[in-house]
Amino acid sequence: MLTPARGLEYPQARVFVGVWEPVVPTKPVVKGRERVAAVRDLAAPKTRLLPGQGEQLSLEHVACCVCGQDDAVPIAVGEDFEYHTSADTFLAMRCRACDLIYLSPRPALSEFGRIYPPTYHAFDFSAKRFGLAFWVRRRLEASRLLWACRHLRAGSRIVDVGCGDGFHLDILREFGEPSWKLEGIDADERAASATERRGFRVHRGFAEETALDGGGVDVAFLIQTIEHVSDPPGVLRGIHAMLRPGGRLVIVTDNSDSVDQWIFGGRHWGGYHFPRHWNLFNPRTLRKLSNKTGFRVRSLGTLVSPVNWVYSIRNLLEDYSAPRWLVEQFSLSSAPSLAAFTALDVILQASGRGALMRAVLERS
Amino acid sequence: MNGPDHLPVAIIGGGLAGLTAAAALARHNVPFALYEAGPHIAGLARTFVDDEGFSHDFGAHFITNRLAAAIGASSRCRDVSRYGEVVWLRGRAIGYPFGLMREPRFFASALAGRMSPSRESEIRTAAQWFCRRFGTRLASEVAIPLIEAWSGTCADDLAASAADPLPTSIAHTLLLKLAEGLTGRSIAVGYCRSQPETVHVRHVYPIGGVGVLCARLAEEIGDRVRLNSPVESILVEDGRAVAVRVGGQEQAVRAVVSTAPLPVLAKLVRGTLALAPLARFKYRAMVFVNMRFAGRGLLPDVVVWTPEKRYSFFRLTEAPGAIPWLAPEGKTSITVDLGCQVGDSIWNATDDALEQTCLEQLADFIPDAKGRYLGCRVLRTSIAYPIFHREYEADRRHFAATTGVDGLVSVGRNGEFAHILMEDVYWRTLERIQPLLRSA
Repeated sequence: MLTPARGLEYPQARVFVGVWEPVVPTKPVVKGRERVAAVRDLAAPKTRLLPGQGEQLSLEHVACCVCGQDDAVPIAVGEDFEYHTSADTFLAMRCRACDLIYLSPRPALSEFGRIYPPTYHAFDFSAKRFGLAFWVRRRLEASRLLWACRHLRAGSRIVDVGCGDGFHLDILREFGEPSWKLEGIDADERAASATERRGFRVHRGFAEETALDGGGVDVAFLIQTIEHVSDPPGVLRGIHAMLRPGGRLVIVTDNSDSVDQWIFGGRHWGGYHFPRHWNLFNPRTLRKLSNKTGFRVRSLGTLVSPVNWVYSIRNLLEDYSAPRWLVEQFSLSSAPSLAAFTALDVILQASGRGALMRAVLERS
Repeated sequence: MNGPDHLPVAIIGGGLAGLTAAAALARHNVPFALYEAGPHIAGLARTFVDDEGFSHDFGAHFITNRLAAAIGASSRCRDVSRYGEVVWLRGRAIGYPFGLMREPRFFASALAGRMSPSRESEIRTAAQWFCRRFGTRLASEVAIPLIEAWSGTCADDLAASAADPLPTSIAHTLLLKLAEGLTGRSIAVGYCRSQPETVHVRHVYPIGGVGVLCARLAEEIGDRVRLNSPVESILVEDGRAVAVRVGGQEQAVRAVVSTAPLPVLAKLVRGTLALAPLARFKYRAMVFVNMRFAGRGLLPDVVVWTPEKRYSFFRLTEAPGAIPWLAPEGKTSITVDLGCQVGDSIWNATDDALEQTCLEQLADFIPDAKGRYLGCRVLRTSIAYPIFHREYEADRRHFAATTGVDGLVSVGRNGEFAHILMEDVYWRTLERIQPLLRSA
């Protein structure tokens, strides 16, 4: 089973000089862990950069965005195994106060054009290319989206924050109530245009800066996006402001309490996605963040996903220069590995430790 | 407890520890001033590059990919292809640590030592600790001669804490060594106590020498380093550090972060006797003779320990064996470590005399050493390693817990008076200055 493919907002390069987290203005930047993963399959493999090759990334040290403390221990040291966008090595830090895992030092916002290279953007998760896998994912995603919208009445307003190319809105239109008002928010012009071409209304901008006209939102989605943004509390506050009282926010993100993280967490875990995943949550830290930003947690559980399993093994093989044919057995176009790790994650999910986490929050 | 938030934190010393503290304070917008007595930053982590393309550091440094990443200097570092140590005994090289255990006489002795009825609580000295841990043969032939050369002190006079146990268990070390063999990566085993050692933590080294790390940290703090500015005194009132005197001027401070050697710190502090015992603490002086040779791989491994007393040195390091970019192609450098005391015959020896002595003794390891010899550079430091003498062991333990003065933090290898390596200096400094970040 696969989690949703998401559009990718190509981040706008902005320079914040001398800003010390967690006060950096918020911005959802990139969409789509799954989509991102698929992009990797399509991109031609690049060679590892050696030190001195390419410009050095501009890096910034940050504090924990959940509790504000700057007291963390390094738990993983890794590289950009997937894109080799720089010769840097990165640290995943675990906050001693609250357990959040975060990247520090991390690339400056001005480096987005580099860490999300053009090949990253070139994703085409289409029926044509992925065939059966596309339709399986679409069906699965439809059931998950509709589950989150099952309480909605006719005429409800639904916003997909960071809508990308409108993949999820399209599913809601096909499988949901015809009376629902579906809108997207995206800061990337290309993504917004793509969604508009599908016939949806799109608000251009960042969640925390976008004011929606005419009535509150009933449900907002933030699917596999929160791990990419520079200031998760800011994004959640922005969404809080656009929801009606009692409105809900559905967050889907990697689960850092998962078994795959436990096994591969020293370096190769797919969830790190060095250096593009900046904050990785577990149920406790996501709950804390939710409470801090004015939400009440209605439900918080895990979902099945084989993707981090597959990419953890791929990263390990890549790191140790395994033969190409072997590396390619672990990708989103490799049905056997996807099937095997889906089966494994189904078992883990039964014990509450699935690879993904889903939270349904309510504006209190 | 620290002073008012608007006052700066005074940092004494611009080495790795001082710069780490300064960079962390800068990130939190905590006002600070960094005073460096000398004309350069980096202290013992400084690199000298000569006209021929050789990089010379003060002795051997151990830098991991984790430290390089934490500082943000990883793209300026390369993987170290391999790193190994041997012990030179009776004219042959024996692998450290496992090669030693394959020697029947050492193995039998170690086994007997482990099974001896003496209890841990009865162990007072480093000599006792080594005998208990390694057995008398290995202790007397290797461990004790090395620690005595290193510290310049009889092992019976050294506290057991000087024995410096490996930070990880034997089983874990074996596992990491096995992983090293399987992966072909140079895994850092025994070079960090403050963070876990794992198969993913590996030796790396900056392309431009170890000084690159400090240069990277200095980028974060800009022009707030005051060179040639020795702190003359630290003023303490009611048990709290309140000011420093620099260049005859008194500067009120919120707190003081010192990297100074402890006898120096004891002399700097005014207004309390809390640090008086530190005046007795001693450091081992070292002379490093960086010798240049034609050829590569002249020594049996990167580090060669020489416990036999016939050698003036106790350690030889051929860093280009692991870090090729420290020497031009086809050439190598060997660092010869000579323990000494300030003012003794080794400390006062001319460079020519040191060169001659080293060359003659190196002939045991490199028969044609004189023919390959290209020249040398001699570096001296009076504060290479802390000496854990029994006479002040109680004071050392007390100091390890607290300086005894509010608002005075002592960090770094000299400031902590501890056998800590580069990565420990970084993480421990961050940990020790946490209170200064939190209350900001």
